[in-house]
Amino acid sequence: MVPQAEPDAPHVLRVAGIRKTFPGVVALDGVDFDLRAGEVHVLLGENGAGKSTLIKILSGAHRPDAGRIVLDGTPVRLSGPRDAERLGIATIYQELAQVPELSVAENLFLGRPPRRLGLVDRRRMVADAARLLDRAGVPVDSRARIRDLGIAHRQLVEIARALGRDARVLIMDEPTAALTGAEVDRLFHRVRALRANGVAVVFITHHLEEIAAIGDRVTVLRDGRSVAQVPAQTDRDTLVRLMVGRAIEQQYPRASSAPDRPGRPLLSVAGLTRAGSFHDVSFEVRAGEVVALAGLVGAGRTEVVRAVFGADPYDAGSVAVLGRRLPPRDVGAALRAGIGLVPEDRKGQGLLLDASVADNLGLVTLRGATRAGLVDRAAQRAAATRVADRLAIRTVGLDHPVHTLSGGNQQKVVIGKWLLAESGVLILDEPTRGIDVAAKVEIYRLVNELTAAGRAVLMVSSDLPEVLGMSDRVLVMAQGRIAGELDAREATQDAVMALAVGATTAHSPTDPADPAIPSDPADRAHPADTERANPAEPARPGKATRTSEATKATRTKATRTKATDKTNKTDKKGDSDGR
Amino acid sequence: MAADTGYEADAAGARAGAERAVRLLLDNGALTALVVLVAALSLLSGDFLTAENLRNVGVQAAVTAVLAFGVTFVIVTAGIDLSVGSVAALSAIVLAWAATTHGLPVWLAVPLALATGVGCGLVSGALIAFGKLPPFIATLAMLSIARGLSLVVSQGSPVELPDPLSTLGDTLGGWLPVPVLVMLVAGLLTAGVLGRAYTGRAMYAIGGNEEAAHLSGVRVRRHKIVAYVLSGALAAVAGVLLAARLSSAQPQAGDGYELDAIAAVVIGGASLAGGVGRASGTLIGALILAVLRNGLNLLEVSTFWQHVVIGAVIALAVLLDTARRRAGARPAAPGATGGGQGPRHRWLTGAPLRLGVAAVVVAAVVVGAALRDPDPGGGTRVGLSLSTLNNPFFVQLKAGAREEAEAAGVRLQVTDAQNDASQQANHVQNFLSKQMDAIVVNPVDSQAAGPAVKGAVARGVPVVAADRGVTGAPTLTLVASDNVGGGRLAARELARRLGGRGTVVVLQGTPGTSAARERGKGFTDGIAAYPGIKVVGRQSADFDRAKGLDVTTNLLQSHPGVDGVFAENDEMALGAVKALGARAGTSVEVVGFDGTPEALRAVRGGTLAATVAQQPRELGRLAVRNAIRLARGESPRRTVKVPVKVVAARPR
Repeated sequence: MVPQAEPDAPHVLRVAGIRKTFPGVVALDGVDFDLRAGEVHVLLGENGAGKSTLIKILSGAHRPDAGRIVLDGTPVRLSGPRDAERLGIATIYQELAQVPELSVAENLFLGRPPRRLGLVDRRRMVADAARLLDRAGVPVDSRARIRDLGIAHRQLVEIARALGRDARVLIMDEPTAALTGAEVDRLFHRVRALRANGVAVVFITHHLEEIAAIGDRVTVLRDGRSVAQVPAQTDRDTLVRLMVGRAIEQQYPRASSAPDRPGRPLLSVAGLTRAGSFHDVSFEVRAGEVVALAGLVGAGRTEVVRAVFGADPYDAGSVAVLGRRLPPRDVGAALRAGIGLVPEDRKGQGLLLDASVADNLGLVTLRGATRAGLVDRAAQRAAATRVADRLAIRTVGLDHPVHTLSGGNQQKVVIGKWLLAESGVLILDEPTRGIDVAAKVEIYRLVNELTAAGRAVLMVSSDLPEVLGMSDRVLVMAQGRIAGELDAREATQDAVMALAVGATTAHSPTDPADPAIPSDPADRAHPADTERANPAEPARPGKATRTSEATKATRTKATRTKATDKTNKTDKKGDSDGR
Repeated sequence: MAADTGYEADAAGARAGAERAVRLLLDNGALTALVVLVAALSLLSGDFLTAENLRNVGVQAAVTAVLAFGVTFVIVTAGIDLSVGSVAALSAIVLAWAATTHGLPVWLAVPLALATGVGCGLVSGALIAFGKLPPFIATLAMLSIARGLSLVVSQGSPVELPDPLSTLGDTLGGWLPVPVLVMLVAGLLTAGVLGRAYTGRAMYAIGGNEEAAHLSGVRVRRHKIVAYVLSGALAAVAGVLLAARLSSAQPQAGDGYELDAIAAVVIGGASLAGGVGRASGTLIGALILAVLRNGLNLLEVSTFWQHVVIGAVIALAVLLDTARRRAGARPAAPGATGGGQGPRHRWLTGAPLRLGVAAVVVAAVVVGAALRDPDPGGGTRVGLSLSTLNNPFFVQLKAGAREEAEAAGVRLQVTDAQNDASQQANHVQNFLSKQMDAIVVNPVDSQAAGPAVKGAVARGVPVVAADRGVTGAPTLTLVASDNVGGGRLAARELARRLGGRGTVVVLQGTPGTSAARERGKGFTDGIAAYPGIKVVGRQSADFDRAKGLDVTTNLLQSHPGVDGVFAENDEMALGAVKALGARAGTSVEVVGFDGTPEALRAVRGGTLAATVAQQPRELGRLAVRNAIRLARGESPRRTVKVPVKVVAARPR
């Protein structure tokens, strides 16, 4: 295996008693953390636990209120990102700090281009960049524009840039969040090479299964404190317990009552088609049930739900709520009919980030709270207070801008505005992406409450354990079509994946079952598990790992292969027609 | 929000009140800046803190504030409205045109003016919402269209306003000026719509995140259009106010006011990124600008430095607000209902920074005060309100006036209205606040100067009009050179040089200005006597040298064989000379107007055929001499003619 850092390797970086407060919030309250040369140290914690603040302090973006930062045995003061950079600390943020319109070479030498007679020496810059990329093993043309690169390559360019600045400490903030399985593998390969060269890596991830694959040690943060430091091989349940401070007995608490007494159909979609995006999509969602829309990224799921909600147009087909047909491309009509949409991109589409929590919660009900053109703000506020309590939204105050909340709480605000609107059919598009375990469970509970009250939920999700654990029926989409329908209680992750990749298997140059999955060390740690998922039980660690990797592995193919012929594989009662 | 808990009610209440006031100040950067500014000006100028002057400030702020209220709606939706100044002018012109030219009753003319503003807003809004034009471009187009239409409708001349409308500029009950009342009503309406109305809340949502608002069922396009319509409607109100105050609708009114309005909104704490902004902040922003202009007038800060000081204060006011936000205080959030549960005294964290910025604001004002025009002291004080200093003619006029004042041992204050009739009215008001013994007005527009001059005369302050007359008010003396006569002289000289035959083009001055009209008229009359000479082109170059160059170049494209050029001032004539190159003075004769030093040199050099020389120095001298005479109670002379003569190059 990979050479691991010696336990007695010298400390490159050590921080002790770090404290940082923001107005109204204590972000860090006594964090200890150390980093040895040649190790990958994973920082783990729920959203809001203080990981981002800690790396911002390490990268010089924030200054701590108290505590020490010791680099190579010498206490240092980082009064800005330049300081950190000078001391060999490089940070790769989740939102990459690159200029999309400039070339790879220009980005690599941003702020310090090679100069000749006071002018930028372009030729040397391109050559230097090529050498650097080569050294970092990044297969990218230094003259390519960043905009034209995929996210994985952009990250690799960032790594090359860090190398170019002789970084001894590399901080990576959720680098795998947007990568496919194969890309994650390539990234891990690069990270291991860095580690072998003695670079100390701080690695942040929400995917517990990646920890054992890439990490050496794990520091767990909770509520701004470092609560534990454990080896990376620590089992998943223990890690989760450390993160949330208690065991999560039931990660997917779906109280599936629906199949026994199916309610009346609330939402009926028939033959919905938009050229180039989705074709002949038909399904219904009944009162009291959760229908999951599974499939690969790019299969057209988001496009379908946006069309159903009236946010985007469609060419043919119909959408009806309680038998009454909705006009196309009319969000207002969908809303009045009782549909709500929690969009995929929370910050870009779900929230008014600078507006207050209360204003965000009241956005959908604003119209209803209006009499003679005037808004009843007192009633709006009372309603917001009520729903904030019900959802246990953690905030300093309802008047504070929503961007001060953690990701999970932000998502609760987005859901909360539809709760206030009392939507009969709630569409959740990737409702738990990027939010912590505890907030996830709270959202699942809420879904249960809603369906128990006779409402319906249509959930788009790429998280297979979530799909199987939280839904009653699973619709699998592939290449814009419904490839099949499964009963969640009988479905397996394999069955879902088979449908999701079904159409592409025959044409794919690389088999979905190929290197990506077995090569992942996580799989070696947890041998393939084909057992059926039981929604009543928490998903097993191994299963979650393997399938989510498989999902990622196949994402590339879905986007790469553009097979247009209809090779829908139907499974069991799989059937793409609406009733 | 109530801080007291009931015990020791009186003392605690008072203390809580004081604390609240302090917090309000520190929580609101713009308000702090305004208070600091008022305090500093009160200390620096004895004339500032008088009831009359404060009323003046209110009136002077009204037009900007009403425009800015409209722009607030647009900026809250993350848009921008550059057209408000032009739309105000167009609405005012429509009002005057309907009421005066077509004799419509006022109750019909005013709604017509408002409809004009609404229409402009509707067009901008539709272009943005449906045509997907960027707001900057759509309203830039509207800026140009509305300005053009106001010139078309008015045919380039100011239109008089009928009497009942002029009373809109008056004072109610002797203490409340109507413009201030209108400003307050517009402000309350804006605050109500933004804070309480559905459409206002929707605007915040759209500005905060358009996609999220759309997905939450907000009709984005509709409310965007509403924002531009409200902006247009308030621009129309501002236009009516502007015209009422001047008793005349000016096609060139409100030029550049959109930038003042945007500055007021931003100083008031709104974000150009959208989603943030309040009516109260905008009002404070407009007041800061008005207080500053008024105060710098009272302090007799050199007009050139005023621009610098105003720019610095705009930057500082916004800096103050940004610093406050960064310090983490609760932002002037989109109408947050203010349930102050936030931690107390958080504003203390940024206090040193804020105090620092406040100190810089004070320093800016003090430095401004130090830049006062030199003060020779003495008993008699005369104010000279110039139409512009952006032209050598008026610079010379000013120099002559100064010479005369110095010679007579009289204190002279000079202001520059930047060709804005409304600014000029402000300046005359400020002279009255300073209790000048006499005022010399060089009107931007004869008609528009009327109300302000009337006010001065009513107060018993003698007024001398320089260069242009004042209509509608009895000025005691007019010191002027004869523009119409000069135009005739120019025509005669040009015709003589061309031997009575040939084609000529005319470079007109800024449309709507009296100089352009009168010189043009004189030239047209004069050239009519020479049937062999044909005027083949008339285009405006705005009295500007660079534009004169461009326009001449363009005219030469269509009329390559031109024999002569008449420019309504020397600046444009010199531009034409540049455009003609070697042809100037050889095959093409250029005649200018004004007799500026540079033009006289060009005449000597032979490139300029002739200029109708006024004697601006002499004009300034005579104006001040007559003002002093009036101030000393001597009997007035009706008109003082300053001789005009043709200065011509040696004929070839």
